[in-house]
Amino acid sequence: MKTPLAGKLLRYALAILAVAAAVLPVYWMMTISLKTEIDQFSVPPKWLVFNPTLAHYRDAFATRSFGQYLVTSIVVSVLATLSAVVLGTLAAYALSHFRLPYRLDKHFALWILSTRMFPPIVTIVPLFLMMRDVRLLNTRLSLIIVYTAFNLPFVVWMMRGFFSEIPRELEEAARVDGDSRLGALRRVVLPLVAPGLAATAVFCLIISWNEFLFALVLTQTDAAMTLPVGIAGRVTQYEIKWGVMSAAATVAMMPILVFALAVQRYLVRGLSLGAVKG
Amino acid sequence: MGVMVVSLLSSSCGQQQQGDGKQLTLAVNAGVEGDALKQAARDYEAQTGVRVQIVEFPYSNLFDKELVDLTAGTGAYDLIMLDDPWFPRFAGEGFLTDLTPLYQKKNLPGPDDDFVPTSLALCRHPYQTGTLYALPYLGNSQLFFYRKDIFEKHSLKEPATWDDVLSSARIITEREATGVPGGGKLYGYVMRAAQGNAAVADFMPIFWAFGAEMFDQQGRPTVNSAEGINALRFMLELGKSAPPGYSSFNADEVSAHLLQGTAAMSINWPAWIAAFGDPSKSKVIGKMAFTTMPGAQKPGQAEIGNWLIAIPRSARNVDAAFDFLVWVTNAEQLKRSAMRGNPPTRRSVFNDPELVAKFPTYPVQLRSLETSRPRPRTPRWNEIENAFGIFLSKANSGELSPEDAMNQANAEILKIVERK
Amino acid sequence: MTGTERTLPFLLLAPTLIVLLALSIYPLVYAVRVSLQAGTGARWSLENFSRLFSDSFFLSAMLHTLVYALLALTCELLLGLGLALLLNQEMRARSLFRATLLVPMMLPPVVVGVVWRLALNPNFGAINGTLKSFGINTESLTWTASPRLAFLSVVAVDVWQWTPFVFLILLAGLQAIPQEPYEAARMDGSSAWQTFRFITLPLLKPAILIVLLLRTMDLLRVFDQIFILTEGGPGFATETVSLYIYRAAFRFGNFGYAAAMSFVLLLVTNAISLVYIRLLQKQESR
Repeated sequence: MKTPLAGKLLRYALAILAVAAAVLPVYWMMTISLKTEIDQFSVPPKWLVFNPTLAHYRDAFATRSFGQYLVTSIVVSVLATLSAVVLGTLAAYALSHFRLPYRLDKHFALWILSTRMFPPIVTIVPLFLMMRDVRLLNTRLSLIIVYTAFNLPFVVWMMRGFFSEIPRELEEAARVDGDSRLGALRRVVLPLVAPGLAATAVFCLIISWNEFLFALVLTQTDAAMTLPVGIAGRVTQYEIKWGVMSAAATVAMMPILVFALAVQRYLVRGLSLGAVKG
Repeated sequence: MGVMVVSLLSSSCGQQQQGDGKQLTLAVNAGVEGDALKQAARDYEAQTGVRVQIVEFPYSNLFDKELVDLTAGTGAYDLIMLDDPWFPRFAGEGFLTDLTPLYQKKNLPGPDDDFVPTSLALCRHPYQTGTLYALPYLGNSQLFFYRKDIFEKHSLKEPATWDDVLSSARIITEREATGVPGGGKLYGYVMRAAQGNAAVADFMPIFWAFGAEMFDQQGRPTVNSAEGINALRFMLELGKSAPPGYSSFNADEVSAHLLQGTAAMSINWPAWIAAFGDPSKSKVIGKMAFTTMPGAQKPGQAEIGNWLIAIPRSARNVDAAFDFLVWVTNAEQLKRSAMRGNPPTRRSVFNDPELVAKFPTYPVQLRSLETSRPRPRTPRWNEIENAFGIFLSKANSGELSPEDAMNQANAEILKIVERK
Repeated sequence: MTGTERTLPFLLLAPTLIVLLALSIYPLVYAVRVSLQAGTGARWSLENFSRLFSDSFFLSAMLHTLVYALLALTCELLLGLGLALLLNQEMRARSLFRATLLVPMMLPPVVVGVVWRLALNPNFGAINGTLKSFGINTESLTWTASPRLAFLSVVAVDVWQWTPFVFLILLAGLQAIPQEPYEAARMDGSSAWQTFRFITLPLLKPAILIVLLLRTMDLLRVFDQIFILTEGGPGFATETVSLYIYRAAFRFGNFGYAAAMSFVLLLVTNAISLVYIRLLQKQESR
């Protein structure tokens, strides 16, 4: 099948246009983080040639509290991911490799998914009041707990998909060899789903890292704030420090982009809660 | 590993004891006001060894954060910096610590009478007469800013009435179409008309000067009175001489226009005056003049906008917080803060010769502050201001006519007031 | 052995179910309680719910949310489908194109807000700056400053961020379509449009429905970017339900009213999702 040259060129042109639209605004922000104030505001805008400076990064992370926010973001997203992945994988295994009475496995699976459908603003008011009652407001722990719950449905659905692809015979063979259920899970099943497990974990990391609303409401001081909340806090004041904000935003997006590229293969399935196989 | 996790989790902060030194956590407004307090906190640490941790929030989030902390009683903050219109809400709900017993504990009679009365009145609930729940830290009241070089150039006189303002604004916008160095347009007037606090603050002096009132004696809203509608009509007229898009302007856009020399007049807070003399920010050094509010049917009256400092009921270190509060509002500290650009709340500091030499506007500011007028003292001010501001902003962006805007605003405010 | 076999799955499920009960279901129950207590007195009343219908702010925030969702969804679906069809064909560097297109949707929404505040700034933003350097007068292009343009701007930002997601899922859907029907169509001499209309589209329907479901749920809850970009302004032009609920709860301290409003949002979201889910189930049972 041959395509006329013009059509082919058009296709490439469109693809390049789409890529440019996706990437240029982000690139622009990165240049702002590296420009001195004078270059930031120059017209026509300086896209390529300017005197780069790291002053804004120093300002944000050394003299302001962004270093602290960064640490909190890392601690919270790593611990929330760990707990969600451990709990969710066990649940997913139960749902995919056991048949429960009264079709409970199906019901549980749907019910777990449905909790993911609540708009966060619906649960934020009660969660805030609950955290207040147990005196956990303004702690990293409150964020870890909330993010764990937030990520669980996602882990269950993704892992359930990966588990269901493992042939039963493999597991049964292991059990004939004398392994218990959990022994078989550990020795045979887990190694097989390891790539999927890693992808799921990366997704949880991304979701926790990007989360804003809960962190905004549940934290009050620098020690418990995450990076997105810290950035948002610098947006609306009198004199907006664009360089500092862009520097912080650049740092906030870098790990995400690296991770996202790492799990590209699983991206579709992850984003669609396992509903579409990628 | 377990220990590490626990220590990572437990950073709920605010109350970690470092050695024997106490730690105070202070929530402040990000910007010039908070910066002075931040520097004062460093001095205090050096003097007393008490660690003072500052958390800053942009104006629009500070109230949320404080309200959340106070309603939840988290005790995250030992001291809060608050804008005076928030005070009735916080004090009315019993969120703040009564300062009188703390004064008594120290055998002090109470705040001295050096504080400007209009400022101290804001710190009492009910207004002026009630219990003292805060001390005034920063004595803002609005001033009228204008470019004296441009006024001289076109032989305009200092505006005494809003009609003067409008005619001067028209003349300047027309004659200075390429008046900015580099060929840009110089607009006659610039104001904040973004929804919320901004639009309301910049509108109130016009509203009052036109003889309008927000509430009648019974506390029912009257913003849609003939005077009120006329005032809004006038604001829109003035808006024709303002930069495009002003209906979404907030403080940063207005200050940018003034500092870049692209607008000739504005109502603003004195805390900004210092920036006009800063060569790294300002293109109008020595060109700004400041005066009291223009009048109309009524003499001009500025809106008072003081920053107060209070101690939440849930604060963990009330005594240490009170020590800091008394220290930071004494004459010496307020003078230091004034040197950093923040207007004081004490007469002795306003009259300090060294400061008057540095800030020739201080006599005008004190006069404006002593005669200034507070926003209505109601615990629901934030909600009222939000509703009012939305309609003002809508009128300025051309979405609603002045009549419709004021009628709808009145209806909305009535709903808020009448709600139980 | 059979005993453990019966209890083991429940043991494995228990922690997840407990966490979700405590942090998703219990908060809903709690919210019911809060929403039924109006004012400061602890009496039960429906006042918060009756207030909803006369609150013009809430109603217009709801309208904004629905229009926002509809506009963004339409653009994202059309653009995403177009891109998926484009990149489904043999192309050099296809995986590179695909990888770079992922950038927007992975960004933290707060960062997206910052990116676009910078790009849309009327004075020195990349967009107006570039237009100016081509000699175009940008004075009236105040983007987030004028009501109508601000609304379109926030929709455009959503389209920018989420079209790649639609594209990705539809591309996966396209690639899962077997080749045989196409070969048959070619033998019949169908036109490109006919092939698309009668083969591609029906086979892609499940993927489209899933995309619609997931995007609709997300669009109805939009908060982060708008909070950074416009905070609901100018006026009330870009205020969505989530923003208004946030304001009612954390700026005005009306937790009960906020909870009542959030139930309406939940109801609307669920009703719309249910339609999609029914359609999906019908699709699957076919």
